[in-house]
Amino acid sequence: MTIDVLLAGFGGLGHQDHQTTMYAPAFAAHPGFRVVGVASTEGDEQRAQDAARRLDVPCHDLDTALSTVEAPVVAVAAPAAVRAQVLTTVLRAGRHVLADKPLAPTLTQARQVAEAARQAGTSVVVAHHHRLHPMIAAGAGALRSGKVGLPWNVQADFVVAGGTPCPGQELLNFGGYPVDVVAALTGLPVHRVYAAPAGALTLLAMDHAQGLTSTIVVGRATGLAGVNAGGLAQHRYRVSGSHGVLVLDATKPAVTVTTANSRSSQWLSIDTVTPLLNTLHTAVTTGRPTTAGLDEAVRTAAVLDAAQRSLDEGVAISVAPNGEHR
Amino acid sequence: MERDFANAFGVVVVGTGAIAELHIAALRANPRARLVGVVDTDPGRAAAASRANGGVPGTTELAEALGWPGVDGAIVCTPNGSHGAVATAIADAGKHLLIEKPLAISTAEGEAVLAAFRKGGGTLAVAHTHRAYDYSLAVKQAIDSGQLGDPQLIKVSILGGWIWGDWSAWVLDPSKSGGHQMHNGVHLLDLLTWWMGDRPESVYARGRKQTAGEMAIYDYLEMVLRFPGDRVAHCEMSRAHRPATLFHRDVQVIGTAGTLSLPWDGEQSLVFGEQGLSNLMPVSGDGFARQLDAWLDAVEGGVPIAGGDEGLFAVAMAEAADESMATGQPVPLAGIPAVTR
Repeated sequence: MTIDVLLAGFGGLGHQDHQTTMYAPAFAAHPGFRVVGVASTEGDEQRAQDAARRLDVPCHDLDTALSTVEAPVVAVAAPAAVRAQVLTTVLRAGRHVLADKPLAPTLTQARQVAEAARQAGTSVVVAHHHRLHPMIAAGAGALRSGKVGLPWNVQADFVVAGGTPCPGQELLNFGGYPVDVVAALTGLPVHRVYAAPAGALTLLAMDHAQGLTSTIVVGRATGLAGVNAGGLAQHRYRVSGSHGVLVLDATKPAVTVTTANSRSSQWLSIDTVTPLLNTLHTAVTTGRPTTAGLDEAVRTAAVLDAAQRSLDEGVAISVAPNGEHR
Repeated sequence: MERDFANAFGVVVVGTGAIAELHIAALRANPRARLVGVVDTDPGRAAAASRANGGVPGTTELAEALGWPGVDGAIVCTPNGSHGAVATAIADAGKHLLIEKPLAISTAEGEAVLAAFRKGGGTLAVAHTHRAYDYSLAVKQAIDSGQLGDPQLIKVSILGGWIWGDWSAWVLDPSKSGGHQMHNGVHLLDLLTWWMGDRPESVYARGRKQTAGEMAIYDYLEMVLRFPGDRVAHCEMSRAHRPATLFHRDVQVIGTAGTLSLPWDGEQSLVFGEQGLSNLMPVSGDGFARQLDAWLDAVEGGVPIAGGDEGLFAVAMAEAADESMATGQPVPLAGIPAVTR
């Protein structure tokens, strides 16, 4: 079954345009979807028109697109300032959504989006796609089957090398990925966060349900030889359990190629966006709950919100189950 | 260099547990020093250590040993809770001291030791031995070379399994050990400040009683140090991991101009045996030999690998970590005496 898709919004945090770089090519290549239209939101008209030309589809403003383009799925990657508003509009129009990360810049907005989705009754898949990396999925499976007993600690490093900086917003930009992966690995919600700043990096010390603790280093380092600009220099998780330890390095697998002038690690591209679209396709066609859904995304937003408050106040911040702080 | 026993620096080793054997091995290999005798409050252990070391004198009385002819200094390997009193006695006798970490189990006690050495004139060094291993020196050298720019984030993890015997182990009694943060945590707290080349503003710590909830100490520790100028360091120290054969040492530094990594499998050989996977301990230089050499140099006017000020600051950080684990909040380090060199 081929599902028609409208691409809405061509922005993000700072200069980002994941619609152009990630979602448009992934939808175009996916046999289950067909891009049938493009919608600009605010300040992204030129990018929208460029995309429409490339894809040979019509380009409208959002309201016109929603009323004229018959697409049950809308991929939303609107600029951060209007993202929540665009998502809410799309959901109220009864469409299923692929939502770029972060779902919204604030916890309040994330919860408004979730409420709109509940009222609409449609599916929302949030682009926390690293949980779909095959090594991470396999690691989560190993943990569920008790390979290390009862997990009690996770150490995670999610460090991007170079690329376009997102000044002052790298935690919001990248933080959702490892927070979501730790949630996928452990299944245990975060109750408390202490955050410490280190330039464009943040250290998050989190306390979870069942007494599990985790520590995440997340952010951007300088550009590094051997790592593509904006690529992951470190992406690893260590899970200590009552009966063993899982050590998972998602920058593997790789072959090392060395020549007289260079050394690099190479592998066939590990694509986590296609599995994300598979998840979306399944959700739309079957109505089944998604693995990268809104509830998890709102919990992630609550963690990042608490982390930001911890950075601002210099103390550990409790996160209540409903996402409120204490 | 040939040994000149008549002029070699005479050392008594006080406390003859497992760590003393490593110090004695370093003494044996160093032509500038010699083992004069051993002290242990347990007469059986004192006698056994005497026999194991060629019949050097052994005693249960520190004062007696300090009066033996040819004693220039002492290496102290007693339980942590005794360090303050033992160190002060050695300072008062005008002898030099290389003391196992921690310097003391409270800053008040540590400050008293430093005062006693200022008065007694002996040279005080603290066995923050991790500073003397190849791996830590390589990290320090890379940071100090400027290749990484300014270090923004440093992480070190040292994870292992249970090694502390049963419920009678003195380490499990905080009044004797100061707790794990004082016993082993000081190693990593000291390393992080040494690598960063600065002193942190605050400590945030979390501990777990992983092996048994009935323990009075935390066998797994995580500590976060915040430095001025948005710099952070994090360490894990564990005796809680299973399988107990695990030895996992991992270092990473992220600087403004580059990164450094010493991954957990970066310096050790792996053994795939019938019992599963295990690893050989890393061969990372003889830290005890380097440390002893530096102490002997310090006696002659050089600089120890870690002196009293560094030892005291490590104690202060561990004390703050303990408070942080009790309150669940970061603890500022304001008011800790400044380093004098």
